Amino acid sequence: MIITPENCKGLTDNEIIEKARLNLDFFSCLFQRYEAPLLRYIRRVSGAAEEEAQDILQEAFIKVWRNLNDFDPGMKFSVWLYRIVHNEAVSHLRKKKSFGKDRKTDAGKYANLLWEVEDDDSDTAEKSLLAAQLLEKLPVKYRDVLILKFLEKKSYEEISDILRIPEGTVAVRINRGKKMLRDLVES
Amino acid sequence: MENSNELLEKIKKRNIRPIPGWWFRLRERSIWGVFILSVVIGALAFSVILFAIQQLDFDLTAHMKHSWAEFLLGLIPFFWIISLTVFLVIAIISIKNSKKGYKFTSPALLGFSTALSILVGTLFFIGGGARWLENTFATNVNIYESIQEKKTKMWMRPEDGHLSGIVSRVEEQEFGLTDFDGKAWTVPYDQADISPMVNLSEGEKVRIIGTQVSETVFKAEKLRPWGGPDQMNEDNRKK
Repeated sequence: MIITPENCKGLTDNEIIEKARLNLDFFSCLFQRYEAPLLRYIRRVSGAAEEEAQDILQEAFIKVWRNLNDFDPGMKFSVWLYRIVHNEAVSHLRKKKSFGKDRKTDAGKYANLLWEVEDDDSDTAEKSLLAAQLLEKLPVKYRDVLILKFLEKKSYEEISDILRIPEGTVAVRINRGKKMLRDLVES
Repeated sequence: MENSNELLEKIKKRNIRPIPGWWFRLRERSIWGVFILSVVIGALAFSVILFAIQQLDFDLTAHMKHSWAEFLLGLIPFFWIISLTVFLVIAIISIKNSKKGYKFTSPALLGFSTALSILVGTLFFIGGGARWLENTFATNVNIYESIQEKKTKMWMRPEDGHLSGIVSRVEEQEFGLTDFDGKAWTVPYDQADISPMVNLSEGEKVRIIGTQVSETVFKAEKLRPWGGPDQMNEDNRKK
């Protein structure tokens, strides 16, 4: 049976999971539903190129499938999904030893990714580029929370569940990250 | 669509299947099992630490010719303090790895684990378990130096003014004492400060601060029972 987006329409994530347990093909519904935002997130976190990001996403979904019985229905599936994708993206980032050099050359594209700016919007593009360069300079733990909070629009509780850190720590890192950004701007 | 089909193909080709739910439940229960075990062992260690503190006699420290530090170092049960620390760390690490453990900060988890160990340890100590545990270790672990052994060492230094042993006879102004090495002493006590918890009867174990007058005579200045209340109860039961 070929599962089309029509088959998935109207189903909640948890309903799709139950169907996927019986028929793997329904798992594609989840992939289609979250592919675009997660690809964007992977590229924001790891700076990976589009193809690389797709590979990371596929590997993450394979992990999701393998660990499906570890999913707690009390948690939002999207949060659990983000957690796995985040870990996979970070793992990829660590493997890329020359990541810093790659990020600098793609700073313009990276900035667009971060703020979804149109190429012909030069003023915003310039600001986005600056913001991207500043964000790059932050330690990973501050950059992660800022991306999740301000770009992915996640709540403190969701960030806590994604990164597996206490909510208080999320708040502290956001504050410190913002302060660091301010200091970088002023310097 | 293309990418999702590619994903499904990969899963089918690699024959990847979801790990069974029981595996995750087992892992979670194991993590909690490690946590509970760590707290219990930490509690046992804490109970022995309490027992060690009970054996200290702080009002006698003023008479110690050696420093406070040496006095405490002589009696502090390092093995149990290190054990308590190690198992508290294990407890924190295990609970951090549980499903919801990440929601709590390390200090909060440390406080929680420590409080549990202290509570359970105190109950165990009150129940007399600490003395039993200490004796068991002393009996079965060759390299372990028990608190009683440390205490005996400290209180068998007549040249430094500390003597201990079992009362062998009692007379008006002196009593006979057999120390823990089996040596017989005569102990004049007419001017000694005697604790109300000392009955001064044959068979009683006592600690004495005083001055060694000769090879077999030790003049008492302070007289205290050998052990804590449970030791006294044990001695009374034997009479």
